[in-house]
Amino acid sequence: MSERVSERGVAMRRVIMPSVTVLLLTLAGTTLSNYWQYVFTISIGAMVSGAALIMLVGYARCITIASGAMMAIGAYASAIVVLRFGFSFPWALLVGTLFGALAGYVLAVPAVRFRSHNLAMVTLVFQAVTIILLREAKTLTGGAEGLNIPPPVLFGTVITSDLGNLLLAGVAAAAVILPITVLLYGPFGKNLRALAANEVGARAYGISPRDYLIAAFVVSSAAIAFAGALSAPRFRIIDPDSYGVLAAIFMLAYPIIGGMNSIWGGLLGGGVLRILPEVLRPLADYLELIFCALVVITVMYFPGGLVELVGKASRRLRGKGAAAGDESLPDSVEAAAAAAVATVNAGGVREAMMRAMPAARNTTTDVADAPALRIDGMSKSYGALQAVKNVSIEVATGRLHGLMGPNGAGKTTLFNMATGFTPADSGTVWSFGRDIGSVPVEQRLGLGIARTFQHVAIFPSLSCFDNTLIGLGRNGVGASMRRSLDAAHAGGSVAEERDAVMAALDAVGLKALAQQPAGSLSLGNQRRLEIARAIVSRPRIILLDEPVSGVGADEAGRLRELLLAINRELGVTMLVIEHNIGFLLSLCERLTVMSYGEIIAEGAPDEVVATQHVRSAYFGDKAAV
Amino acid sequence: MSEFVMVVIGGLAFGAIYALAAIGIVVIHKATKTVNFAHGGFVLFGAFAAYLVVVKLQWTYWAAYVIVPLLIGGIATVIELTILRPLRKADLFTVITATIFIGIGLSEIYRLSYNTEILAMPNPIPGRPFLIGDVILTREQIWVVAGAMISCLIGVLVFSHASMGRSMRAMASNVRGATLCGYSVNRVYALAWFVGGALAGLAGVFAGPSKGVSPELAVSMITAGFVAAVIGGFDSLRGALLGGLLLGLAETFAAAYVSSAMKNAVSFLLLFVVLLWRPEGLFSEGKGRDV
Repeated sequence: MSERVSERGVAMRRVIMPSVTVLLLTLAGTTLSNYWQYVFTISIGAMVSGAALIMLVGYARCITIASGAMMAIGAYASAIVVLRFGFSFPWALLVGTLFGALAGYVLAVPAVRFRSHNLAMVTLVFQAVTIILLREAKTLTGGAEGLNIPPPVLFGTVITSDLGNLLLAGVAAAAVILPITVLLYGPFGKNLRALAANEVGARAYGISPRDYLIAAFVVSSAAIAFAGALSAPRFRIIDPDSYGVLAAIFMLAYPIIGGMNSIWGGLLGGGVLRILPEVLRPLADYLELIFCALVVITVMYFPGGLVELVGKASRRLRGKGAAAGDESLPDSVEAAAAAAVATVNAGGVREAMMRAMPAARNTTTDVADAPALRIDGMSKSYGALQAVKNVSIEVATGRLHGLMGPNGAGKTTLFNMATGFTPADSGTVWSFGRDIGSVPVEQRLGLGIARTFQHVAIFPSLSCFDNTLIGLGRNGVGASMRRSLDAAHAGGSVAEERDAVMAALDAVGLKALAQQPAGSLSLGNQRRLEIARAIVSRPRIILLDEPVSGVGADEAGRLRELLLAINRELGVTMLVIEHNIGFLLSLCERLTVMSYGEIIAEGAPDEVVATQHVRSAYFGDKAAV
Repeated sequence: MSEFVMVVIGGLAFGAIYALAAIGIVVIHKATKTVNFAHGGFVLFGAFAAYLVVVKLQWTYWAAYVIVPLLIGGIATVIELTILRPLRKADLFTVITATIFIGIGLSEIYRLSYNTEILAMPNPIPGRPFLIGDVILTREQIWVVAGAMISCLIGVLVFSHASMGRSMRAMASNVRGATLCGYSVNRVYALAWFVGGALAGLAGVFAGPSKGVSPELAVSMITAGFVAAVIGGFDSLRGALLGGLLLGLAETFAAAYVSSAMKNAVSFLLLFVVLLWRPEGLFSEGKGRDV
């Protein structure tokens, strides 16, 4: 019980730290002169924008040049409701934020179809059009001259002092940074990073790129608009030009210079870069050039940004002992991995997994005795090349079914059609009697269908634990936001999820590496991790695409034992593509062979490899004689 | 009718300049897979260098047409060698952000060295305009359309036929394969940046007299060049050429027959329409499977 309480404390402390830091900064600011109180107020607004951009730029890796527009929308919307309708400041802030969210949605719906440079360009369009509109809608916005903003009114009191404004900004900023932190630290943020690292892998586990990127745009745009509304009264006059393309591009520098891997980077980048102009008054003319140079130097030499630099410096300060401890870490980790692999305990899989995930999959739509997977008359052409010709395969429930064939036989194409990644020209796919052909990729995990990839599709920057957690599913945007809230206070089903993840990692022998980044693992262990991620949700069928390609013979043997155990203990049906004939023969109970897009043989493995068709497909006609 | 013809000629003049900028973007992208957001900065520097040659040094315009492309090509190559080469292993995101800030940095250097809003340049070919019926054609317009178009065509021909072009196309389709065939990644990349930069510099020399030299030029040229490249399918030089002309015509028509505010919006409108309805471009060369 006490363990649970302390766990809860740790989780909550982690999540409130950024907000608390902003409040402490605010308090520190109250002791300074009026001028610096003003500077702190502006800088705290930039910290909110920085935190918001960590979500969109740092985690989702979207280059946005629309931040100036979002800020303008927040500032103008709040100013207009104050000036026209006499709203008090808190309501005006809310209106500004909501308009920001709306603008984020309007931008994102067309924009998230694109990535990298096209996405950047679409955001630039949004930015430019917004400023043109603000300038043209003179009756509402005052055109190029802008609007005079009255000082904020809070509960009937007009706040004019620098101190009052600082306190207001500090409290409001802390309140907005908290939910952003919750989302970034929780499954929502991790799923965003997974998506940015490997979109295909993310989709297979229910992370919809469209939904997530729209959500990231909406949340970060709302927060940036909030920052705009918050700081507008401090500028006294707002005009379209102060929110132009240049402002947007320099906001893009906040997360880059601060460090894109955590919310601290946004806070640090926003805070420091907004204070810099005040500190460097004598160099005011060169400021933009200095900014540009800082960004280029950061991406070239310090990709981790200020956060990493600060982290390194503080570690150095803590003395050589700590540094030496860090150095020796890799060795001990390797040793642990070796030990773990040696003790893969297949027999324990069932028990641990059952305990962790007692609820079996929903089976109400099942048709009795229907096969786990039935592919019916499937075809696919790429131009003149017919990659798959009218292929039908039936994978009986509980069976280990192999699919082999020479390069270019159409195995992976068939796989991608069966899993929904590639639309089929014709044919149907059934799973346990249900036609799943029209089910989106993102929802298939929910039907108990998991897959692995020929080129491992793990998320390298996330830990093994987080990789496997993603395999648990419930990765819809709404669900992951709720789970983020649970994670923030270690409540909800967090403990059960952790047990399930640890059981799955234990089953594949990676328990000791749970906290290591997945990218640091050997290829064999990355393949294990993919298996852990595939089995953690206790699917009923797993499709494995070349699970042992690129790993050594010993490791292939251990992976075979692992797959056999999973099949035996958990009753998971498997369809396995492999080139490695020996591996397939010793694993599978049934074997299908494809060549040039067609099935040329199917049956018991030993008999199949003995048939003439197969021998000629693999070894040429002479060998068959 | 005569007004219509004059609008067309005016549109073609701008369009030819956009096409030059767009072809530079496409050459760099084709060979190095980098979208150069600093291209507007290159064009601005080209116009600025032309100003220095023609106004400050009082040399003839011909000198600018020769010196400036070499100079801007050189600057582009230096940027590739010092900043982008160390980033070769970084992801697309990093490279794109780097070029965005390099572009802004170039604009800033210009702003700091000439602390003015806009520098005016003299007409490269002064003289009486031609009168054909009611149609008035200035010599400058004819020269810009002809000169820029010829430069574009030279750029296209070099890329698609010369051995230098072959190396860049090889690198574009398969870096490892091209390396195995003896092409040096570093050399090809540097070459692509040189050619792209030179085309941008040339665009600057053509753009300076008609658009004026100002940081605005950088923003408008990266937008126009990018939009023209997208219209053309982003990887097609011929497409970029046609895209530039189309964009120039669309802008000039919008300004002449709708409103001047519409002129700014038209490029964005085109970009949106093309990206959403035909992301492969209006003049796509047809692409096979991209796996």
